[in-house]
Amino acid sequence: MTEHASRTEVSTTTIDDDRAMTGAPLDSDAAGAMAVALAGGERTTGDGDQAHHVGTSVLRYGGADRVTGKQKFLSDLTFPDTAHVALVTLPVACATITDVRTAAAAVMPGVLTVMSAADLPQPMPRFGVSHQDRPVIADGQVRFHGEAVAAVVAETLDQAEAAARAVEVSYEETDGVFDLDQATAPDAALVVDPSARPADDEHRESNILETALYEWGDVATAAAQAHVVVENTYTFPMVTHFPIEPGGTVVTPTEDGGLEVHSPVQHPYLLQRTIATLLELPLAKVRVFAPDPGGAFGGKQTPKFEPLLAFLALKTGRTCRLVLSLEQTFQTMRRAGCRVVARTGFTADGCLVFHELECDYLIGAYADVAPRVMTKGSYVGAGPYRIPHVRTASRAVMSNTTPSTAFRGFGCPQVAWATESQLDAGARELGLDSLEIRRRNLIHRGEAFFRGPYEATADGDWHQSLEKAAELIGWDTPLPAGRGRGIAVAIKPGATSGLSQSLVRFLADGSAIAYAGTSDMGQGARTLWQQIVADELGTGLDKVTVVSGDTGVVPFDLQTSASRSTVFMGNAVLDACRDIRRRILSLYADSTGSEEDTLSEAPGLLVTPEGPLPLLEASRIALGSLGGEFVGQGIARMRGRKGHPLGGDAAFYEFNCTAIEVEVDLDTGELLLHKHISVSDVGTELNPTQVVSQDEGASIMGLGHSQMEQLLLDDRGLIRNLGALDYRIPTFKDVPIELVTHGIENHDGPGPYGSKGISEGALLCTAGALGAAASQATGVVIRDLPLTPERVWTALQQALDQTTT
Amino acid sequence: MTTQDSRHSVRNAAVVPDELNEVECTVNGARARFSVPPHRTLMDALRYQLDLTGTKTCCAEGECGACTVLVDGVGVNSCLMLAAEADGSTITTVEGLGLDTPSGLSDLQESFLEAGAVQCGFCIPGQVVAAEYLLRGNPSPTVEEIREGMSGNLCRCAGYQRIVAAVQMTARKRSHHD
Amino acid sequence: MRYYRPTTTAEAVAALAGEAGTARVLVGGTDLLVALRHRTVEPSLLVDIKRVRDLRPPIDVESRAITFGPTVTMSAVAADPTVREWFPSLAEAALVVGSVAIRNRASLIANSANGSPAADTAPPLVALDASVTIASTSGERTVRLRDFFLGSRRTLCGPGEMVTSLRVPRPADGSSSCFLRMTRRRGVDLATVSVAAVVERDGRATAGLGAVGPVTLLGGPTGPVALWSEAEVENMVDELLSPATPIEDVRAGQTYRAAMLRVLARRAVLCAAGRRDAREPIRLTQEGDS
Repeated sequence: MTEHASRTEVSTTTIDDDRAMTGAPLDSDAAGAMAVALAGGERTTGDGDQAHHVGTSVLRYGGADRVTGKQKFLSDLTFPDTAHVALVTLPVACATITDVRTAAAAVMPGVLTVMSAADLPQPMPRFGVSHQDRPVIADGQVRFHGEAVAAVVAETLDQAEAAARAVEVSYEETDGVFDLDQATAPDAALVVDPSARPADDEHRESNILETALYEWGDVATAAAQAHVVVENTYTFPMVTHFPIEPGGTVVTPTEDGGLEVHSPVQHPYLLQRTIATLLELPLAKVRVFAPDPGGAFGGKQTPKFEPLLAFLALKTGRTCRLVLSLEQTFQTMRRAGCRVVARTGFTADGCLVFHELECDYLIGAYADVAPRVMTKGSYVGAGPYRIPHVRTASRAVMSNTTPSTAFRGFGCPQVAWATESQLDAGARELGLDSLEIRRRNLIHRGEAFFRGPYEATADGDWHQSLEKAAELIGWDTPLPAGRGRGIAVAIKPGATSGLSQSLVRFLADGSAIAYAGTSDMGQGARTLWQQIVADELGTGLDKVTVVSGDTGVVPFDLQTSASRSTVFMGNAVLDACRDIRRRILSLYADSTGSEEDTLSEAPGLLVTPEGPLPLLEASRIALGSLGGEFVGQGIARMRGRKGHPLGGDAAFYEFNCTAIEVEVDLDTGELLLHKHISVSDVGTELNPTQVVSQDEGASIMGLGHSQMEQLLLDDRGLIRNLGALDYRIPTFKDVPIELVTHGIENHDGPGPYGSKGISEGALLCTAGALGAAASQATGVVIRDLPLTPERVWTALQQALDQTTT
Repeated sequence: MTTQDSRHSVRNAAVVPDELNEVECTVNGARARFSVPPHRTLMDALRYQLDLTGTKTCCAEGECGACTVLVDGVGVNSCLMLAAEADGSTITTVEGLGLDTPSGLSDLQESFLEAGAVQCGFCIPGQVVAAEYLLRGNPSPTVEEIREGMSGNLCRCAGYQRIVAAVQMTARKRSHHD
Repeated sequence: MRYYRPTTTAEAVAALAGEAGTARVLVGGTDLLVALRHRTVEPSLLVDIKRVRDLRPPIDVESRAITFGPTVTMSAVAADPTVREWFPSLAEAALVVGSVAIRNRASLIANSANGSPAADTAPPLVALDASVTIASTSGERTVRLRDFFLGSRRTLCGPGEMVTSLRVPRPADGSSSCFLRMTRRRGVDLATVSVAAVVERDGRATAGLGAVGPVTLLGGPTGPVALWSEAEVENMVDELLSPATPIEDVRAGQTYRAAMLRVLARRAVLCAAGRRDAREPIRLTQEGDS
């Protein structure tokens, strides 16, 4: 608790003095340029009684409704005349559907319609972000356990479920591929028939969907220069998001032939476009309402059942409601499992000579955003290090498993697990300390970690995080018996392109309404917009309302992902506030007959030759006796870069250093985490408590995939631990005895006041730190996650067997 | 490969509606009367018949705690209790906790906000009710006791440390008032 | 499905008899409602016995035994001072069944007598030689819990019957017990393997073994053992574990389960032995004098 207090203290005492105040719209070619522009920008002026909310831990916007139960999540919303949807699924992962007989179900009480592929347009409408491969409902085949074959709409949920059980499906189970070995075998069953793939697709006769290759230097010849070479294979399990709100969707047909789609999505505008395209409706006739997601973590980015519900709503003319069970949620979202073969060379001093990675991501039955997870995750696969020779070859491999999608960390934790473990493998070979080998290889600000024409460099002083984590865990203090310590680092690219827009209305009484399309799924986005608007317009927090989650009234925002919102939407909101100030200045000059160039504006103020005027007073004078309001528009846009492997440079990088001290029960393999330190390079903490929340939450989520989480399949591809009983996530009792997070603030980010996105960093290298700590405590190295007691014990036994034989 | 047939047992698709059970109970201080089919859980009855949607549904099998309510003062998972069983009982949901205060928030609910314990908020009603139950039985719990007492309430945003802080903060507030 | 709430045992067993095989007794519901949700049981009738007035009281402490009624919850068992003193292993097992909210509802009798091989409270009760009384319209019978389990989810409590009480004899002076289990995480979890050990004053031991066979298994009783001898303890553990037939499932592999059974058995025996020493009256007197 004391650590948290000291962190907050640090944050609040430094921000007011230091925060930069430009936050220009993101329209430059490179994020680096933005940070430079920010550093030279104007600084905030202390203006007497003007309250500063940015940089302080103001209470969460909408918090009161969340503690009283008033907050309406999707399943809490009521609609008149609602019909209920139940899905028909099969107890198989891979099958050809030969017949769907719906007649018996259709005549059951309350049933309005039963829909299967036969009832949809042909060819089957398909959707997807990178590949339009996902059918609205299973089209002649089931590709993964839980894929819906038919849907029933009835007056009550009980009736819909009863009728769903009466739908008869005849099917032939077919051979599927459920892991990387099966999926990449020469004679593997193919998830997608080659005829369904482009003729010029070189991988069409395999399960490989896409590949990526990042290469600089010459790995082959560099190997000869290395003093030590370590080669190992690492695996990262399939894990599922397990949002506490399982999710669902409600679709209402409107009288003008359009649709209202209610869904707790992260990307309402993507959903709007998807529905409009599939149903051949103008965007203006598809209105998406996005109630706040009850946890999303990437799993609620892309459309899933919304297209099906849209067809059902149009067919029945009724509001159709589908609320998923947690089990169904497991079957709609997961993180790609990954296998990384890594070969790494070091000099005798422990400096990296080369690093070679082959990363195979097991992405599942449909593409979703998995190809980008693969390309983006392995782009930083070599880590934030100075490596002259790198070769990273990655593949997105399809399988008959739940389609994988975005998940906090987006493909980076998988490869970071391998790269960080390789650093430790090298350190062990060389007799170096884990901290020391990172000190020698971690780049400094401006140094490249990705070389070549699309060079990418460190946009922070990352050594500060490394040293701070080492200090907080007491790296130099004696290690208690039976324990081990590990330290690891990792980076993740933030968003690389895209548009965020905001409108802010400054009303006649000094209150304001900000329209900002970011989905507030727990990160607290609305709180930040409230803080920014209050400071920039000089009004009270309680006078700022934020509107989001309605494509009918809120302007376009690309998406809520990649920890982009603080930077992109934050800048848009800031820009909108400044637009208001400029408009006030202009109209004030007009109304008072003064010259515009004698006036200037500042946060909350119009500065006149007679002195500063509070903005509200200036706006009243400007508007005159009939009053009115000012509307500001803000835009943050970052252009992509042609040819760039990610489509553009990242606006910022999340950098994290995690250090863990663990005790291992050698008889049982159980881990007891004594200390868990997470230090992130955050730019500026706009709301320190919210930063702490994100870092603690990500740390614990990282412990989930490091210690206990994994989707287990049987040999036919059925999920064996489908549901909360046997899929284990961390509980209160699994929190380390001491969990301390810290933010390094250099006010060097491209977001408002020098901020960066921060929501994913703390889980990027949890596994590496824990693995290294466990290795030190046990003397055995484990390269497969999660580090369950059984896996740790088994490794110990194998080591014992080897020493005794 | 042999063709298989997926239809589940025909018996499940019974067309005869279940007979209803009458339930009379006190919910958040008010009398409530409603009829339920026998299989309906208390969680669903609260949410869909009494419109008390603060009680949340996640796992629906007692593993997550999102549906925690007090029945006769005892913290239970309302997903694992039939609504029919609630006949004659006194139930407090999250909506009933701050009723007597001007702000509409109990000291515990305020502490959740002040401690930064709320992220997405979906688990929070269950957390608040579970914490209230914990504090009624143990007014000054240790960190270990809080972790034990709350371990049936999952938070995927993992605000666990903030929630522990909120419970401790409330305990301090209450001890000052005594 | 119908829901029925009788007020007498006679009504309850009559209702069960009326729909023998398709009626289910409802107490805490923490297992049953999960099964209903997954449709792994589809009863025609639920007989909720929580309002039955002539049941045995939840906890009835007599000089030579404690008798539990069918409505006693895990929370009540774990909190009872006599249970904690006489049967520490049972209190420990009751304390790890689910979460607090589960324990507030879950019935000891339902948990221990539903025939789940992983039920936490069955190993201590088997080791402590508990017996259950089964009622039906044709009367009552009492059987030892050791003989009660027929197979996974199959017991001597047949169609039309219900368990109305559970009696656990007071342990002999100078003995004690301990319950340990393995889980996949520190928070609420189902047992991967569990062991309850009872150690007598003279070093004889009995064990209840959970999740390592189709039913909760009884190990021992062994002969007297010198507990300071590592070799003798190892032999004792071998004997206690001889009935175990661990298998692979979603929670653990067979090898790990077998190995953990040994680790836990050894630890439980030594823990129970240590507690037993602490309970020796003469030692307590000496401590009191000093």
